[in-house]
Amino acid sequence: MAFSNEMYQAFEAVVGKRNIARDLGIRETYRCAAAQSSAHYGPYNHRTPMPEAVLLPGSTEEVKNIVRLCNKYDVKFKASSTFWSAMGFITDDNGVQLDMRRMRSIEIDEKNMIAIVEPYAIGAVVQAEAMKVGLTLNVPGVGCSSSPLASTAGWVGFGPTSISMGCASENMLGAEWVLPNGEVLRTGSLGAGSGWFCGEGPGPSTRAILRGFQGSTGSLGVCTKMAIRLHPWPGPTHIPSRGVVPAYKADLPDNFKAYTLCFKTWDDYAKGLSLLHEAEILFLGHRQFNMFGRDIKTAMLKILTDPDGQLAEIPEYTADPELKKINDDMKIEIQVIIAGVTRRDTDYKEKVLDTVLEMSGGWKNQFMLEKDMMDYVLLYLIRLGHKNLNYALCGAYEGNYGLSGNMFVSAKVMEEAAALKRKWELEHTHIAAHGGDSDMGSISIIGGGGPTGWEYFTNFDAHDKASIKGTADFFNETQRWMTEKGLGVDMGHWNQDLRREDGYGFTQEQHDEMYVKLPQPLVTVYQYKVREIINPKHLCGSYYRTLTPSKYKG
Amino acid sequence: MDGLKERLNAIVGRENVFDDEKSLALFSHDESFAKSMLPRFVVKAKNAEEVQKIVKLANEMKTPLIPVSSGGKRYRGDTVPSVPESIILDLSGMKKILNINRQQRVAMVEPGVTYGELIAALRKEGLTLSVPLTPKASKSVVASVLDMEPRLNSLHQWNFIDPLRCTEVVWGDGNRMYTGEAGGSPMDVEKQWSADKWQQSGTGPMMLDFYRLLTGSQGTMGIVTWASLKCDVDTKVHKLHFVASKKAEDLNDFVYRVLRLRFSNELMVMNGSYLAALLGESAEQVAALKAELPNWVALVGIAGRELLPEERVQYQEADISEIAQQFGLKLVPAVPGAKGDQVLEKIMNPSPEKYWKEGAKGSFQDIFFTTTIDKTPSFIAAMLSLADEFGFSASDIGTYIQPQNMGTSCHCEFSLFYDGGDKKQTAIAKKLFIAASEMFSAMGAYYLRPHGIWSRLQLNKDAQSAFLLKEVKNVFDPNNIMNTGKLSV
Amino acid sequence: MIMALEDFEAMQERCSNCLGCKWTPFDKIKSQRFGENCPSVCYYNFNTYSARGRFQLGLAIAKKEVEYTETVTEAVHECLACGLCDVSCKITRFNLEPLEHNLELKADAVKKGKTLPAQKPVLEALAKEKTMLVGKTKASRTKWADGLGLKDLSKEKGDVLFFPGCKFSYDEKLQKTAQSAVRILKKSGVDLGYMGSQDMCCAGRTLQMGFTEDFAKNAEANIALFKKAGVKTIVTPCSDCYHAFKRQYAKLGLEVEVLHTVEYLDRLIGQGKIKFTKSVPMNVTYHDPCHLGRLGEQYVPWNGTEKKILNQVHTWTPKRPRYNGAHGIYDAPRNVIKSIPGVNLTEMERIREYSWCCGAGGGCSDTSPEFSDWTASERITEANSTGAEAMVTACPWCESNFRKAVDENGKGINVLDIVELVEKAL
Repeated sequence: MAFSNEMYQAFEAVVGKRNIARDLGIRETYRCAAAQSSAHYGPYNHRTPMPEAVLLPGSTEEVKNIVRLCNKYDVKFKASSTFWSAMGFITDDNGVQLDMRRMRSIEIDEKNMIAIVEPYAIGAVVQAEAMKVGLTLNVPGVGCSSSPLASTAGWVGFGPTSISMGCASENMLGAEWVLPNGEVLRTGSLGAGSGWFCGEGPGPSTRAILRGFQGSTGSLGVCTKMAIRLHPWPGPTHIPSRGVVPAYKADLPDNFKAYTLCFKTWDDYAKGLSLLHEAEILFLGHRQFNMFGRDIKTAMLKILTDPDGQLAEIPEYTADPELKKINDDMKIEIQVIIAGVTRRDTDYKEKVLDTVLEMSGGWKNQFMLEKDMMDYVLLYLIRLGHKNLNYALCGAYEGNYGLSGNMFVSAKVMEEAAALKRKWELEHTHIAAHGGDSDMGSISIIGGGGPTGWEYFTNFDAHDKASIKGTADFFNETQRWMTEKGLGVDMGHWNQDLRREDGYGFTQEQHDEMYVKLPQPLVTVYQYKVREIINPKHLCGSYYRTLTPSKYKG
Repeated sequence: MDGLKERLNAIVGRENVFDDEKSLALFSHDESFAKSMLPRFVVKAKNAEEVQKIVKLANEMKTPLIPVSSGGKRYRGDTVPSVPESIILDLSGMKKILNINRQQRVAMVEPGVTYGELIAALRKEGLTLSVPLTPKASKSVVASVLDMEPRLNSLHQWNFIDPLRCTEVVWGDGNRMYTGEAGGSPMDVEKQWSADKWQQSGTGPMMLDFYRLLTGSQGTMGIVTWASLKCDVDTKVHKLHFVASKKAEDLNDFVYRVLRLRFSNELMVMNGSYLAALLGESAEQVAALKAELPNWVALVGIAGRELLPEERVQYQEADISEIAQQFGLKLVPAVPGAKGDQVLEKIMNPSPEKYWKEGAKGSFQDIFFTTTIDKTPSFIAAMLSLADEFGFSASDIGTYIQPQNMGTSCHCEFSLFYDGGDKKQTAIAKKLFIAASEMFSAMGAYYLRPHGIWSRLQLNKDAQSAFLLKEVKNVFDPNNIMNTGKLSV
Repeated sequence: MIMALEDFEAMQERCSNCLGCKWTPFDKIKSQRFGENCPSVCYYNFNTYSARGRFQLGLAIAKKEVEYTETVTEAVHECLACGLCDVSCKITRFNLEPLEHNLELKADAVKKGKTLPAQKPVLEALAKEKTMLVGKTKASRTKWADGLGLKDLSKEKGDVLFFPGCKFSYDEKLQKTAQSAVRILKKSGVDLGYMGSQDMCCAGRTLQMGFTEDFAKNAEANIALFKKAGVKTIVTPCSDCYHAFKRQYAKLGLEVEVLHTVEYLDRLIGQGKIKFTKSVPMNVTYHDPCHLGRLGEQYVPWNGTEKKILNQVHTWTPKRPRYNGAHGIYDAPRNVIKSIPGVNLTEMERIREYSWCCGAGGGCSDTSPEFSDWTASERITEANSTGAEAMVTACPWCESNFRKAVDENGKGINVLDIVELVEKAL
């Protein structure tokens, strides 16, 4: 059924004239340019499909009514909270885009350390509100400009603080969800009106169908509200800061310390990180600045902490022998933050950290101990407000390799991965040549220490078609290497089975062809069956992996 | 008449199929008030292949299956048949510890492995496991974690269902798969281990959280034939302290503060009756202890592991002691009737063969639900008031508050101790159990683990979840053979 | 040199939709209520109204995929040109110029005849009466200066030009402030002049509205007059004019020192030439005007080339000025306020380079009064949240917009120009 004026009027009656648009110019700004921020799909030189209309719902009731209309008129829909990356954009023609920015409430239960948030309550503001009462949250690695609700409902959601706070799935409590069939599901303790405090059950968990290792990326309706676990913040009611833009620095009390821990070899690195997993002393652990590239990370730190700093200074800094020494010292490194809750606690954690370094042959980089640098790092990592430096070098980036999982396995192949990337940097011109190793990521993607979440940052120019194509070619090369090593799907391809190269969603037949080859295809058969319960009209696009049961030959 | 026995014999061997009265009677009832019903067979399976064949057979013949992993007495009613001609599928003989990996801090066990067996094996590798409070001797670790039994250390509950990670499951439709990261690789654990994959991450795979359909499901979705579990590094120094108070609510702010600072390992609150039952080795001892012990006590365990263990314990003792003082309380190593190391030994280890809750008066009924710590005083007051109405002595009610999920909620449990041999006491206990369950439901208690009548109480208030879970069950158990009749409204 | 919308294609394609342009620099966010930065996207909500949306829209217009409908025309013009998106973007990006692009998009619309009805009388007034305040006349422009003893630089030469701007010239309340400023400066020994009959609008707002040709015409005329008068320093109490001279006129060749009155006051206080005799017990907060703060940086001539290093790292040689608000005027007004006995300064959450706009910029107080008023109301809410009795600022456009605004509870605030505050203590 083609999108008609009558349909538009029906939607308009739900959200109000002011909150719906059909003008082509408005709709154009709701297409994702897949070269700019594809998120593990691409990069490609196209935009995602044009929505028929853009809607701004202001309540769960409005979302419910929108979805009812979509079911009635067979109109596809997808909701996004912040529109970071391609995932939130529609995948088909004849679809409407929901922009969730009007739904942004935050309520905090300070005693029980719970925040109840709506989609547009981004990490930065949830953290700011939580800090007022001595709490904070796990900000996902994508940065504080993202939505914790979206990260939990939609994607994976681990970050620098997951070692101590858990990842998005672990912090998920009760949730309110408008299913694609128009019904409103309230999960866990919320279902019977007991409150938001428990995300499990009743009995088997209804939340199980809404997110697994990753969320459903908007393909199973709209999450309109969610309770998340908060965590202690042993600091002031906001992060005091000083400095000239953009080189802001935190003025936190001395129970907060940021260190760059360096190691001689990757084996030592894995040993040290494993000891840190067991030591339970870290507030945060994240290899952050290596994302700029092994060769230039120190130069970038100099530039970023100078209000007049510019990328043009990179060659000058990298040629400086003193800075090169520091850079070499930091070849194999990770940033950690200790946050003591009492004096004794601080002292103990510091002592344990020193013991870990002794046991693993590691050391603290001296350059990063300078007060201004430490304060810059503290603010950077705690607020995680500079994550868009992902894009700083060229304008686009994509994460690839994805040497996550067992760090002892990843450590053994890091130099080889770095060398492959370095070779590509030197033999081709499509990606930034910043030194091969540009690995960045969390010390653990789950609470208490477990698999790591590491990705390489590949920087390219979204304006340069050759750069875009060359980057995609590079990812094919790294996928070949990953396959050869038995390391699974390259991170640059994680979403390649979810949206086609032309920006549209896959058909069921195309998905069947892919998923029948999985090691355990049953996973996608069950996802198919569950989808049929709550999304019988397939209204939310192809980001949900399904295999038609009849195609399964198990 | 239908050839079922012969087909079962062919799968597991004649010696593992039981239909004699004594064997059937063992499973026809348990210590709960669930209505008794004889099963048709008790079948012992030895491995996942047998389990899968049985499930397929049950589908074919529309025979209800009830998986059981623990031995000894049962208390929740979830393994008592609700429909006739059920088969009890006994997995308690599947006792392999398939793997322990010190580096990755993970272990993999079959369903028949008990806490005692696993912890002894883990200790040899320098590991241990988060435990629930003094589980029964024959308690299956897998069954315990699937039932989301509350762990003593809520700060190690980064994931609510820790320490459960991956599983191998035979779904009710007869299909077998791995859940969690194990489900993203070939279905062969040896192959996965050779590739250095250790089944550490339990979510998914992909977008459906399969293992969360198994937790709390009372075997109504599928049968777990192995589970990987997150382990902790073993402790080198481990102490337990008490903070006593006349009223439960006076401990709440202390507990909140300790959790807020992320201090302590084990942390829980219980009343004197509960602690007495835990420590007493006879009914007389329990009675004597009740008179001696404080009304209410917080148990605060502090541990040091491999790195600077003494220092950790010392500094947290000092800091927690100061916190107690801030609230006009005192952190002490002993209270009248109980010493720290004695209690620590008790709570961290399985009960002797006679389950400790039977020590008080012979029988007991547990009512438990999930709520938040600040709401517990109202539940406690309501319980005591109701007990009084029924003429049930307050001193025969044990109360246990276990913070969960890093302090964002708690398990609230009332144990009603009574003489099961006395018909009058039993009748009162039963009425009180039902009335209290209904009362708590009306007060907003959340029956996360909806055993028995709690299923109706919880799901009747949550039509959307009830409907959805039914639809989901149709996916994984289309012929409704898995523990038929449980978790229904 | 960038001349047209089409020249922004590379930039439009390099925007990464990172969301930074919709928020105060994340490091500085202290609450949800006052965490956002772009009044346009906050009021209209659609992504189109953010700097990111404008990049996408601009690209689509340049490629002729989208036309200037009424909606698109309005969206293009409903930008206050406050530059906060620019500051936020440049926290993490070195090669995007969102403000410049927003203005170029407006200029493109104007070039194609896509303007808003309320803009016409404003431009007509400028052409005819040499002011952008509709209804005001050239004849009455300099009445405010009667009796002040200012040197008439239309007739004689002078080093220091006092340039009040249209608002101070015509608004009766604001005229008193301009007069006070002149008296204070003269008393401190500054030999001040004014442009007499040649005084006319700086036309800075035409640029904010996209009327680049009108701007160039008026600016060049003014530059010629200043040169003829031998002006070496311009002192202005108006932040709009300040930015116009210091950044935009400088691009066109104006080579004079440009000072805001508050900078001069700060200097004079520091030199001991202004002495306070009274205490002013008052709890105040300070609003950083966009055009004095983040947009108050000096134009720096630059001639260089674009290049890529390390294959794809996009940069320029030599280093380009960033214009990211780092060197705006934030301390001078604060020094002045703090030097007044009895005054207690309580800062709002959004200050300095990340100050929220008053709503008057971009021509929107003429074209979109509801949007403009709402923006001001947001700021009053923020000011009232500090508990301050008064909001002090240094721009007549901010002052006018704030004076008629109330917060979300209907409560206004006493608005003072910094000169008024200084005067209370003399």
